[in-house]
Amino acid sequence: MFEELRTIRIRPTGEKLKLTPQARREARTGLLLISPWIIGFMAFTLIPMVATLVFTFSDLKITSGILSPIKFVGLQNYIRLAKDPQVWSSLGITLKYGLIALPVSILVPLAIALLMNSKWLKGSTVFRSLFYMPYIVPFVAAVFVWGGMLNPSNGWINQALAWLGVPKGSLPGWVNSTTWVYPAYVIMGIWGIGNTMLIMISGLQGVPTELYDAAKMDGAGWWKTLLNVTLPMVSPVIFYNLVLSIVALFQFFLVPLVFNNGTGEPGGSTLFYNLLIYKTFFTYQNMAYGATMAWLLFLVILVVTLVLFSTARYWVYYPSDR
Amino acid sequence: MKNRILALAAVWVIFSMILGACSPAPTVTVAPQATQAPAAVQATLPPPTAAPTLQATQTSAPATSNRVQIRWFVGLGTGSRPDQQDAQKAVVAQFNASQDKIELVLEVANYDTARDVLSTEIASGNGPDIVGPVGWLGSNSFYGQWLDLSTYMQKYNYDTSDFDPATVKMYQTDEGTVGIPFAVYPAAVFYQTKMFDEARLKYPPTQYGEHYTLPDGTQVPWNWDTLAKIAKILTVDKNGKDATESDFDRNNIIQYGYDPVYQELFHFAGFWGSQKPYSGDSKGNYKANIPDNWKAAWKWWFDGLWGAQPYVPTGAVANSADFGSGNPFNSGKIAMSVTHSWYLTYAGQAGKNWDFAVLPADAQGVVNGRIDADTFRIWKGTKHPDEAFQVLSYLLGDGAPKLLKVYGAMPARKTLLKQWYADQAAAFPWIKNWNIFTLDMAYPDIPSNEGYLPNFNEAWNRTITFKTLLQTDKTIDYNSEFDNFVNDVTAIYNK
Repeated sequence: MFEELRTIRIRPTGEKLKLTPQARREARTGLLLISPWIIGFMAFTLIPMVATLVFTFSDLKITSGILSPIKFVGLQNYIRLAKDPQVWSSLGITLKYGLIALPVSILVPLAIALLMNSKWLKGSTVFRSLFYMPYIVPFVAAVFVWGGMLNPSNGWINQALAWLGVPKGSLPGWVNSTTWVYPAYVIMGIWGIGNTMLIMISGLQGVPTELYDAAKMDGAGWWKTLLNVTLPMVSPVIFYNLVLSIVALFQFFLVPLVFNNGTGEPGGSTLFYNLLIYKTFFTYQNMAYGATMAWLLFLVILVVTLVLFSTARYWVYYPSDR
Repeated sequence: MKNRILALAAVWVIFSMILGACSPAPTVTVAPQATQAPAAVQATLPPPTAAPTLQATQTSAPATSNRVQIRWFVGLGTGSRPDQQDAQKAVVAQFNASQDKIELVLEVANYDTARDVLSTEIASGNGPDIVGPVGWLGSNSFYGQWLDLSTYMQKYNYDTSDFDPATVKMYQTDEGTVGIPFAVYPAAVFYQTKMFDEARLKYPPTQYGEHYTLPDGTQVPWNWDTLAKIAKILTVDKNGKDATESDFDRNNIIQYGYDPVYQELFHFAGFWGSQKPYSGDSKGNYKANIPDNWKAAWKWWFDGLWGAQPYVPTGAVANSADFGSGNPFNSGKIAMSVTHSWYLTYAGQAGKNWDFAVLPADAQGVVNGRIDADTFRIWKGTKHPDEAFQVLSYLLGDGAPKLLKVYGAMPARKTLLKQWYADQAAAFPWIKNWNIFTLDMAYPDIPSNEGYLPNFNEAWNRTITFKTLLQTDKTIDYNSEFDNFVNDVTAIYNK
């Protein structure tokens, strides 16, 4: 071993790394092989990002045409953004929806994963498939089905509630109500928990069984085991899903677009921020202002994600950190 | 050797990706929608095929290389329904067969996504040559994009004598002469005769100036208050009680007295008076100018939805399958609706017991009508304006009869009117009062209630938001929300 150590040469700082001809060939081949990805990244991500940043300082409209010269207007779009009540209202709508949707998108898959992982459940494979199947239903078809189920007049859900004794005048208006539309969207979203549930199940199955044995020997009941063993051990999985859910929340767009044709109905209550960006681009035809809104969204998601990562050390437990 | 093979493989992959990216995008045939709303009344059950793709177009035969290709974009107004395609394709085929200089190509987009599709095409510098049929609402969404036709009308000595001079003048705007009349859609009260018979009510008047006779024999002016009175009698619950009775069950209504089908707020307000809804002439000093009679009109609507004696279906009911999924009069459960002649093509399920009546007057006894008008516009970025104008002339001339029939459009040309009435009478043999449309041509909305607004798309969108709020939330304070609406619209005008 000491012989090997003697042959290791520590390169002084500042000295350029000299590649052998073979190493250079390998590097070139590697770059060539990943060049499609690099070209794609530049063409479809980096350059458009830089382009939209440039647009935020212009007054580009969609009807200006691709070849017309860009007129720069300085920070006008940013000043307008700061004063635009519709922008902050739609951010508020997104956050209001998130207050219900985020906990549901984490807790419901976790609860179902705990049930799936239970040793007393027979036929867990069948149940796992059943809970996952709605996730693969085509999106527009699913919206159509939910539209029927959530119809306030003759939808199954309201009919079931009426059968349970809820007076007809008190039945929720669901997507036709400015209050009930958010729970309606959350209920629709529950269909898509299959993927999150599977990730949670894999996390639960990674918890060492000896920890459960040790907890049992210490006299811990089900609840204490869940709080002190299960949740800490799956906290990395929960953290991962939480980050993805927050990003998805701010990008929430397809359901109001397809369900309400992007109108923000009823009464503007479904004009989510991402939908407003889409409308600003294509309905109001203001590319520059839409780009400014998109950059605000990017910054908001970035800040929230950074805050999440910085707080992770207090509640996310990685076994390798011990 | 191995590295060389890998390098060659990588080059091949890159090359094929670049080739793939450069090839023309395939045209996607969009499956037709089951119903097509000309205004943004939303069904809660969108057809599964209505995916909001930006490439939702279908083209007819591809252009041959030695002809000038003129693209005709349909979808901003009517024209996207499946039953309209054959006639449009026949007109295209007929035009192409009639000469050898121009190849007319049809592009049809779903109404719901047409605006987005057209925006994208224009943004990419690939806008169509001709757009239509399109009304003021659709064309104002692209304000500033239309070619001034006056030069070409002079160049080709276009004869406008077959049109009413008022309709020709309608298209002379700040942008120049942006259109030539094609179709007009006067309004009327559509009413179900059988429902009136069952309620033992007299039918609404068929002449302007006639009074209406209430059940107690009183003669009253035919105005919006009278309409509301009889609408309440015609609103019936499952026990047969009407909205004026004390034991009326508002949670189990099976028939409503009135619905403003496919009318947005400015449309409905136009039947209470027309005016320019903004003042000012430049950004920074625009102001929303909503008159008191418009505020009263929308309050009338709100009271009909949520008042003690409701007679207008709420948003939830109007969008339900039982009530026509956003097209309530077509469900056959609405007694009256004030709408336009284009609605003839949307009332296929409304039964065979309806007819037309004259429009109600306002409280001062003034009849305020509305006439929608469609035409074809030429995009100002067209590379072939002369050829586009020739196609336009064909669509407005020889191609018009076929197209007017499927659009449910009343011809703007005087020489085509007689045949139009004959065709409609054959298609709707139970209707007696066709003369109502002729009478209503005397009541146009000037200025148009779909006229230009600063930041038109966003301002119009705000009116839709206010409308759906009125339709879905009974707890709002109407006056407060009205003030919010006025303030928001003023802010939007000045953006």
